[in-house]
Amino acid sequence: MKHPTTPPATPPQWAVRFFHWFCNDHLSDAVMGDLNELHQRNIIKRGKRKADFIFVINVLLFLQPFAIRQESTSSQNQLAMLQNYLKMAWRTMGRHKTYTAIKIGGFALGIATCMVIYLFIRHEMSYDQQYKNGANIYRVYNDYQGPDGGKWTAFPASMGPILKTEFPEIEKSARMIPFVWFNAGSNLIRSEDQVESTYEEGFAYADQELLEVLEIPIVYGNPLKILTDPNTIVLSRRKAEKYFPGQDPTGKTIVLNDDPKKTFTVGGVMENFPPNHHLSFDFFITLKGVEFWPGEQASWCCWNYNVYLQLRPDADPAALEKKMLSVNTTHNVGYLKETGNKSAADEEKYHKFILQPVSDIYLKSEGISDAIPHGDLRYIWLFGSVAVFILLLACINFVNLSTAKSANRAKEVGLRKVVGSFRFDLVRQFLMESLLYSFLSFSIAIFIVIIALPYFNSLAGKSLIVPWNEIWLWPALLASAVLIGVVAGMYPSFYLSAFKPIDVLKGKVSKGSKSSSLRGAMVIFQFTTSIVLIIGTFVIYRQMNFILNTKIGFDKEHVLMIQGANTLDEKQTTFKNELLKLASVKSVTAGDYLPVSGTHRDQNGFWKDGKSKEEKVVGAQLWHVDEDYISTMGMKLLEGRNFNPEIASDSQVVIVNQAMVKAMGLKNPLEEKIMNWETFSVIGVVEDFHFESMKEKITPLCFAYGKRGSIISVKIQSRQMTDAVESITKVWNKFMPHQPIRYTYLDESYARMYDDVQRTGKILTSFAVLAVIIACLGLFALSAFMVEQRNKEMSIRLVLGASVNSIFRLLTQNFIMMVFISFVIAIPLGIYLMEKWLNDFQYKIPLTWDVFAMAGAISLLIAVLTVSYQSLRAARANPASRLRSE
Amino acid sequence: MKEIDKNSMLFRLIHDNMKGANIGEFEELVLLVAGTLYDDAYGLAIMNELEAKTGRSVMISAVHKALVRLEEKGFLKSRLGGATETRGGRDKRLYTLTPSAVKVIRQSRETRNELWSQIPKIVLQGGKI
Repeated sequence: MKHPTTPPATPPQWAVRFFHWFCNDHLSDAVMGDLNELHQRNIIKRGKRKADFIFVINVLLFLQPFAIRQESTSSQNQLAMLQNYLKMAWRTMGRHKTYTAIKIGGFALGIATCMVIYLFIRHEMSYDQQYKNGANIYRVYNDYQGPDGGKWTAFPASMGPILKTEFPEIEKSARMIPFVWFNAGSNLIRSEDQVESTYEEGFAYADQELLEVLEIPIVYGNPLKILTDPNTIVLSRRKAEKYFPGQDPTGKTIVLNDDPKKTFTVGGVMENFPPNHHLSFDFFITLKGVEFWPGEQASWCCWNYNVYLQLRPDADPAALEKKMLSVNTTHNVGYLKETGNKSAADEEKYHKFILQPVSDIYLKSEGISDAIPHGDLRYIWLFGSVAVFILLLACINFVNLSTAKSANRAKEVGLRKVVGSFRFDLVRQFLMESLLYSFLSFSIAIFIVIIALPYFNSLAGKSLIVPWNEIWLWPALLASAVLIGVVAGMYPSFYLSAFKPIDVLKGKVSKGSKSSSLRGAMVIFQFTTSIVLIIGTFVIYRQMNFILNTKIGFDKEHVLMIQGANTLDEKQTTFKNELLKLASVKSVTAGDYLPVSGTHRDQNGFWKDGKSKEEKVVGAQLWHVDEDYISTMGMKLLEGRNFNPEIASDSQVVIVNQAMVKAMGLKNPLEEKIMNWETFSVIGVVEDFHFESMKEKITPLCFAYGKRGSIISVKIQSRQMTDAVESITKVWNKFMPHQPIRYTYLDESYARMYDDVQRTGKILTSFAVLAVIIACLGLFALSAFMVEQRNKEMSIRLVLGASVNSIFRLLTQNFIMMVFISFVIAIPLGIYLMEKWLNDFQYKIPLTWDVFAMAGAISLLIAVLTVSYQSLRAARANPASRLRSE
Repeated sequence: MKEIDKNSMLFRLIHDNMKGANIGEFEELVLLVAGTLYDDAYGLAIMNELEAKTGRSVMISAVHKALVRLEEKGFLKSRLGGATETRGGRDKRLYTLTPSAVKVIRQSRETRNELWSQIPKIVLQGGKI
């Protein structure tokens, strides 16, 4: 050997460490000593390398149960310790009832919120996951990437069949009309042998293939032939049970809108759409043999059909998208060239057909206009993060209170250590305790969820249920209870178990002051979260207020909309006149088009007269309204005149809105003529009014003269609302004895357009309230604790002449400071988040300072109120009684 | 003295335990060697002694395993002590025989002796029948 003088060589340290890691205490030292001795001997006999090798082999040979397992005697002991831990936890809980209640209550609230939000998110994510063939089902949408681009789902009638015949990788193609159009939308319905019709919503036109592509289960009828015959209709199970209770309605006849010429044969019954389907219709009317006007089915003029595709399993959607460009070139661009339309070149360049997987439709359709309700991925993120934050707040309460109360446990820790407890045992004890809290909180949280879920459902417009029957529920609950218990208990248990017995027993541990800066940071975190939520609530309410009360270009108050008036037919005019005779009625108008959603829309392309080959098309709504429309809606005619039934040529005139004037560049609107396939002269300009959601800009629109419609709107004298409704009902019953009157109010329909905004506002308010409650619970307990700590100090101050006022200030200023810091942090956060939210709206409120000031003031007030209870109690107590014990 | 109630819990417990406390050949050897080493009976020393006396090569883990099991069965008691530098300053686990161990090895020896004495001489001399 080269270095005979080296000190005794040591065995490989990693092996030593590994051995100590796995070996039990009983053998660990003794065996390692033996191995060391052997190693020394082997070095001399066989050299270092061989000795090391033998050492490692020997270590590995000890990987046997006898060396690894703990001493068998300890299991009984552990059980006893476990009992002892539980007993101690129970006693601590009982000794500090307020703290325990706050800890558990706050925890339970936080966990319950999380559970509800989890259920919500789970529901939102579960949309359209149920298909056997899901990976191959697609919806087609248009993507126009040029200037004024957009995405939408409507196609010409022939799009579906063309795709199917041109591309062999498409197994099935299906068309559907989901919006309010002809009989799609809502209808009055009765079975042939009934007299009275009932109003029903949820009608759509569809191909037989739609039921097959979307795998809708069929209850009655031949699944392959339900909609294959002209004039057939399929009912959902619930509607079939309503109109044909207890029987198979296949082959029965249904009358729509009391029109005996328009009867439909029931082709079968489909299963109800599940709540997590992107569609929810109750009636499909077949598209077989349907032609809405002559030549409609073959022409590429008008885009009204949604198209769903089922691809072959081996098809490549990206490649298909590329191939579909040819359809655009041949048919769309071809049609435009044929009609001499200027936009043909742009259409060729920018227009694409995109395939969207069916599972993406519900959540990932941002920017695609279709007529079906969607979830919003951002709200999932928002709610998810709110849930996490609220849970964090609750965990922080737990940590704060546990460490704050540490002084009470310090002696116990010290004594346990003195009689031989390892730190690990203490960590285990405190973790056990927090697990106990966690389990109690979970059980309470489950009750809260059961009670609160119906409220949340009505808030969010959902029908969530607790999935009791699913096997994963209880294990998942158990696992999360353990997880949360451990996470929340981690810091306190390490903090508490670190006390040095000598210090504790000498009384040296400063009572819980050690981590006060950390506790401060946590309080700041809690209040920042609360303030941001309060700001959010304020801004949403303000915006909602703005939407409901701002000038919208028409007067939505005191307008009654009588629905289903199309059944009056020729009697509509007489009905109108009858109504006008009532003293309470100001004016009456009949039509299909109203500035609230759910009524008819008719998008058209317009040019200046005779310029359809030279100029680009301007998309605009064309609404047929009568001469009383503008006055009934309280709209303002800026220029020109209203329609006049006496003037025969008024059938070829339009009144345009300001947006239309601007979009078409009409310099002297009253002298201009515009055209779509007919020519109209402009006779008036109406002030812009909102007819779509405020999230969108006001688009061009023009009124043409029409006389009838399915909705009769009645403007009523403002003071006589109830009387008016009564007398109007009487008149209606005279005209339509078999059809009950159905009416809505314009302002309510308007407000309903912003249901989602209102919902978000309400949900966020509840979250803000919850966050504030949890933060306040924590603050209350912390202040109580602080007052307790400084009890003697305060008493001495009082004895020496401090005023109640100064004591109060002393005790509260710390907390006020914290709230103030939170406020400073919360402002930029709030501005950033709310700017983002408001960006959804084209018409929105500015973010003003007073929102923030109010949020700050409210949180400060709440904090002061919370703290002051304890502070006042301390300041007003009799110092003598508390100092006497010294 | 009262007669022992053969149905009492205590009796059954002890009896059953004794029944389970059989020892194997290797364990018996370890017990014997631990006895011979008396005051310095720890893992490595027992291994050395076993190797020296039997000529077999013995793994240190096997020795410790036997020691643990014998201790569990109540034939050995152990204490810590006797650290040296070559051991990296670690204590030895020193084993001493319990009375029940002494009883067991004595019994086994007597059994052997008795059997031994009953073997006919002719067998021992390698004669044929």
